Amino acid sequence: MFTLEPLLETFQTGSGFWSPIIWIVAIIVAFLVAVILRGFGKKEYKEKTGQTQAFLSGNPEYEKEQMHIKGSNLYWGFTESLEWVFDALKKMHTGNVSDYALWFVIVVAILFIVLITGENLMGAI
Amino acid sequence: MDFLQISQTGLTVIIGTIALALFGIFFGLVYKGIDRKLSAHMQGRIGPPIRQPFRDVVKLFTKENIVPENAIPWIFNLVPLVGLVATISILLYLPLGGFQPLFPGKGDLILILYLLIIPSLAMVIGGFSSGSPYATIGAQREMATMIAYEFPLAIIIITIAWRLSIQGVTNVFALSSIAATPVWNIAGPLGFIGFIILLLVLVIITPAELSKIPFDSPEAETEIAGGLLTEYSGRNLAMFYLTDGVKTVAMASLIIALFFPYNLSPLFGLESYPAFAVDIAFYLAKVFLVILFSVTLIRVSVARLKIDQIVYTYWVPLTLLSLVGLICIMWDQTIMANFGLQPVFEMLGIV
Amino acid sequence: MNVADLIDLLLQHSPALIVAVPLLGAFITPLISRLNDKVRNVFVILTLGLTASLVFLLASDVFTGNIHTYIFGSQDLALPVVRILFEVDAMSAFMAIISVILSLVAVIYSWSFMKENTGLDKYYTLILLMTAGMLGMELTGDLFNFFVFLEITSISSAALVAFWTNKAKSVEAGFKYIVISTIGALFILFSIALFYGQYNALNMAMIASAMQYTFLDKIALVLLIAALAMKAGVVPMHMWLPDAYSKAPSSVTLILVGATQASLYGVFRVCFTIYGGAINLSSISIGWILVILGIITMLLGVAMAIIQTDFKRLIAFSAVAEIGYMLLGIGTGLVVMLNPEMTATGLAAMKGGIFHIMNDALDVGLLFLVAGAIYYATKETSLNKLGGLARNMKYTTVFFIIGLLAVSGMPPMNGFASKLLIYESTYQLNPILSIIAILSSIMLLAVFVKVFHSAFLGPALPKFENVKEVPKSMLIAMGTIATIIIIFGLFPEIIVNSIVEPAANALINYGDYVREVIPSFTGGV
Repeated sequence: MFTLEPLLETFQTGSGFWSPIIWIVAIIVAFLVAVILRGFGKKEYKEKTGQTQAFLSGNPEYEKEQMHIKGSNLYWGFTESLEWVFDALKKMHTGNVSDYALWFVIVVAILFIVLITGENLMGAI
Repeated sequence: MDFLQISQTGLTVIIGTIALALFGIFFGLVYKGIDRKLSAHMQGRIGPPIRQPFRDVVKLFTKENIVPENAIPWIFNLVPLVGLVATISILLYLPLGGFQPLFPGKGDLILILYLLIIPSLAMVIGGFSSGSPYATIGAQREMATMIAYEFPLAIIIITIAWRLSIQGVTNVFALSSIAATPVWNIAGPLGFIGFIILLLVLVIITPAELSKIPFDSPEAETEIAGGLLTEYSGRNLAMFYLTDGVKTVAMASLIIALFFPYNLSPLFGLESYPAFAVDIAFYLAKVFLVILFSVTLIRVSVARLKIDQIVYTYWVPLTLLSLVGLICIMWDQTIMANFGLQPVFEMLGIV
Repeated sequence: MNVADLIDLLLQHSPALIVAVPLLGAFITPLISRLNDKVRNVFVILTLGLTASLVFLLASDVFTGNIHTYIFGSQDLALPVVRILFEVDAMSAFMAIISVILSLVAVIYSWSFMKENTGLDKYYTLILLMTAGMLGMELTGDLFNFFVFLEITSISSAALVAFWTNKAKSVEAGFKYIVISTIGALFILFSIALFYGQYNALNMAMIASAMQYTFLDKIALVLLIAALAMKAGVVPMHMWLPDAYSKAPSSVTLILVGATQASLYGVFRVCFTIYGGAINLSSISIGWILVILGIITMLLGVAMAIIQTDFKRLIAFSAVAEIGYMLLGIGTGLVVMLNPEMTATGLAAMKGGIFHIMNDALDVGLLFLVAGAIYYATKETSLNKLGGLARNMKYTTVFFIIGLLAVSGMPPMNGFASKLLIYESTYQLNPILSIIAILSSIMLLAVFVKVFHSAFLGPALPKFENVKEVPKSMLIAMGTIATIIIIFGLFPEIIVNSIVEPAANALINYGDYVREVIPSFTGGV
């Protein structure tokens, strides 16, 4: 027989929990509250007038292409302050297939050292 | 679980959410007013009356709700609501006014961490969707700030949970367990220093979480004209305004739940209604103090940082500081176990 | 013969049929192509639909706790006759479900997406071959057979990556893929030879039962982990992956996600089952190697993703980062496996890791399909040239938002549930692990918000004025995955209990897997 019970179960992780259904219900209720609240506000505005133009401190709007900030310009502050990390990463990705194979060799070498020498060392200790 | 129980839970959710929404909005605006008044006094101004934020919301409701032509209307109008709704839902899982959370077993600290992201995310997407260069720049700064402060914030949250799990507490991520076991009670001397460091870092994270000076470069009125809110007006802006208020309360309650979950009523031996009244008053006072220290004092005393400085501040000094805190707390365990008072007593045969 | 008997018969032979149906379908496809394009498409969809229903039939039985074996060759196990053994436990079935769902969705998506292309008979043949290879890798109980299916998958995927031969970069990516795959496969073959030389066996269960953890076994372990991890795109051997993922047609990329995960499954099978008994003998835990690889993979993947300017390359790097979560979760399970105090932690971490395999396939898959839809509509994948598409492509935008929230683990999507399990278990091993996992997840959010802005938001660009919503078959494919994402997000407890936990237990209790073939085996209880 189909029952509602399993659908309402809380997701247990052993250290915490998460009950999606209760959250969804709360979200719907809160959404209604917010919509009602917003309903007190004024809805209208003057469409297709100067007020719908993008604000550029009084300057005329550029062409649409120029008004769109391109993807590579985003997160400037983040990449700027961690520039050394990103520079190193870019240098690492050469796009050269022999380098790809080299990385494989490096990983194999490191794993060898860790698993074989490391184990002997641990055994010695 | 039969039908009656389900409907009972449903009713609790519905009534609780409505009550918490009104609570959050009201006190959010009150604390905003207090914050403005205080910061004005600190700067030698008279400042607006405490009820000014309510008047601001009413004013915004009477203004035109402009949707710019470069915007994508359905996203532009939807995200202010999403932000407010998500912020209200945080209150369901937080212990407020000295009481247990409304749903103690239904959501934990990690969920709150993620829900705190949603209002900022809503503002970011709102800024991007308005199609204005100023808003776009502001929005991408907000996102960069978010990545920046999540690192130390994650360290704080995981450290607290880890320390509690060492203590043998079950469900360490549940706010009710954290509130029941205040970290100060279980820490040794070194751990105490560690938790003080973490608290300090959390106080510095709060202004960024709430987009306040010195971490308000996403909104930076003087350089990018309000940043991600540039194109917002009228009731949409009012929604963001309310979100900010509710988020302030939520963030302050989170700090209280993590670090100051004490109540006054056991001290006076009170019970029932007088105890509730004392606890609620004490909770409101604690929220006020948290806001005073983490928002008002910081924002009147320092100037705005540039976005790359913000990222640097959080990823290098503050992350290192919180790692020091984490290491202190971890060492607290080993040092206490090996060289603490207890083993010494045992050796001497006292215990 | 009534229906129940027929189903029993199908169930009994399903391990063989699951591989045989797409394999035979692959060879019939060129013939049917002669008739009519539509008939061929329907035939391919039906073939995969049949495979999917067989997988579900088998899985429904396996998840109740039965392990299915299927013997090709001599039925008497005591005879030292060459035979191939398929062995399906819950983990194999779990992986097979992922692969078959991805293939089915990819084929539905291809109907419109690849319509303009020529040589589609070869395209569909290769897709079916690739699916057969993936399923074979996941169901087989024989190590050499695993290698054979790995090669089938590699060769057909390399051809599919380079399917758009008119583009130099696709051919280059295909070339890189085949070079890397061959290197990986050769080292796997070498380790199989090491096993065969020592234990005179190719069967995984037999090797596991005889495992001595000698010096040669250590070499074999290193080579198997490294080679399979390279095929799975683990940092720092991930570099072929963004090339291949971004240059292949989106529908192919979706199946490539499955193929990558099949290799990852190989890593887990090797560590847990073949070397299951060796954990006691080794003083350095193999689990820590997986955990550390996972952490590096996660951080480097997101860091590279955040600076990408090509839509598909960006998703590919975040797919790399997602692989880190699986390694972290399952590696943690392996580290604490012998510690009786942390059994619950280990199980939670394993559940998180395994659930994340499924979630990653769905989330990243959906995003690749969205990228494909945008390419289909605009012929553009550079984030510097796109913009304002939310006006023209409403449904695609909604699917993208679902994918964005899911991949960055926002509630209430499926990614949140699996990441929650990972965060709330790995911290007990070391708090730093959870911290980095949370951080990477937030950075993934930033990565996809960047895409959201550059592709979908912003002013209406004149060059995209006439862009229209993509055709129905592509919307159906995206919608299917989006629906599964939401259902998994809303009812995580049911999914975890019914399919994820059996899979986690199958890996942990590797002794059952071995005992199915060698009843006298006593380890791994």
